Amino acid sequence: MIHSVAIRILLGSCFLAAAMNLVHAQSNTPGGMPPPPGMSLTESAAMRFPQPVRVGDLRGRAVLRPVPSQDVLGRVREVVRDRDGRIMVVVDFGGFLGFGARLIAVPVDAMVLLGQDMEIVAFTPQQLRKFPTFSPSGTTTVAGDTVIKVGLAKPSH
Amino acid sequence: MRSLFRPDVVPDTAILDDHQPLIRSLERRGLIRGSLSLGALALLTGCDVKRPESVESALLAISRLNDDVQALLFNPNKLAPTYPASMILRPPKFNAYYDVMDVKPVNGKTWRLEVSGRVADKRHWKLQDLRALPQTSMVIQHICVEGWSYIGGWSGPTLRIFLEHVGADLRAKYVAFKTADDYPSSIDMATALHPQTLLAIQYGGETLADPFGFPVRLRTATKLGYKNPKWLTSIEVTNTYTGGYWEAKGFPWFAGI
Repeated sequence: MIHSVAIRILLGSCFLAAAMNLVHAQSNTPGGMPPPPGMSLTESAAMRFPQPVRVGDLRGRAVLRPVPSQDVLGRVREVVRDRDGRIMVVVDFGGFLGFGARLIAVPVDAMVLLGQDMEIVAFTPQQLRKFPTFSPSGTTTVAGDTVIKVGLAKPSH
Repeated sequence: MRSLFRPDVVPDTAILDDHQPLIRSLERRGLIRGSLSLGALALLTGCDVKRPESVESALLAISRLNDDVQALLFNPNKLAPTYPASMILRPPKFNAYYDVMDVKPVNGKTWRLEVSGRVADKRHWKLQDLRALPQTSMVIQHICVEGWSYIGGWSGPTLRIFLEHVGADLRAKYVAFKTADDYPSSIDMATALHPQTLLAIQYGGETLADPFGFPVRLRTATKLGYKNPKWLTSIEVTNTYTGGYWEAKGFPWFAGI
């Protein structure tokens, strides 16, 4: 445990150094931009070339903030359908080094795939903090071998 | 206390900032980069570091030397590590010099691949012509200069088989590419003939999806990610150096891994 915390801190500082160093390496336009004003989540997700992905492959993924420092907002715990049938990603959100996190449900159309990670592009951390804590009642878990479509973004650094 | 050896007039530190990409491109020479200070630059150029051109040409000279050394060290028979198919990341990671919303999909039905330069047969290629060539699959790591990587599974004809098929002059120096997204690129012939350099038309056993370069992209296991142009529209065999998109901005051309 202590080992992994040390690695995290080390990685964190490496990332910081890297972010300061390579201001643009491959970025002319930033990745993971929020949806344009007035556009629905579904419409904006459709513009991000949604790709098939196994739900089981999403569990445990880091959820990043689409900024150069790529802060880890949480981890994917589960994928569910809410009462209206919308696919929601249940994220272990917030906290510090794994303590004090709580579950929130983020619409999949507000998120993108970023290689082995995911990003929340449509909500800021301030908005996410106001999300209600996820309650499983009325939702159904999406099975691990189900294939859903999720949009893409380029790295934000 | 202020150092006794500190000169009265110090060079403008903005000079290092102005050349960030070039300095970064020297990453494989960690020692040199580590020692790259304004003072060292002044020694290197032997002239006024306030002249940005002189700094740039000195850095580019190191980068070119680095390219030559890498080309010399390149072993055309040495294979990059491969991985089991279970490790393929599905879907792969998207990257370009613009965000995904600006991807312009290519129509595979009307798409043609131009072949030019030192080749016997300059007929244009259709997607089914590439499919008709013997196919090779490889599960390799994609390593980006930015520091990230992922394992991907790619299939298609090797570039070697393609070049042999069009009667290319295999002693030419370069194979140059043009793409639908205006991302020119070029590689050395030794890498073009390497068994892990593919004209990839499939990912993970499926047709390559639009954001990853449909209908065909270059996929080479022995170079950094930015040497793998997507949405290819033209292949030229040439003895003339044509550089590439990031190379024109100061990134190393050989970019071997």
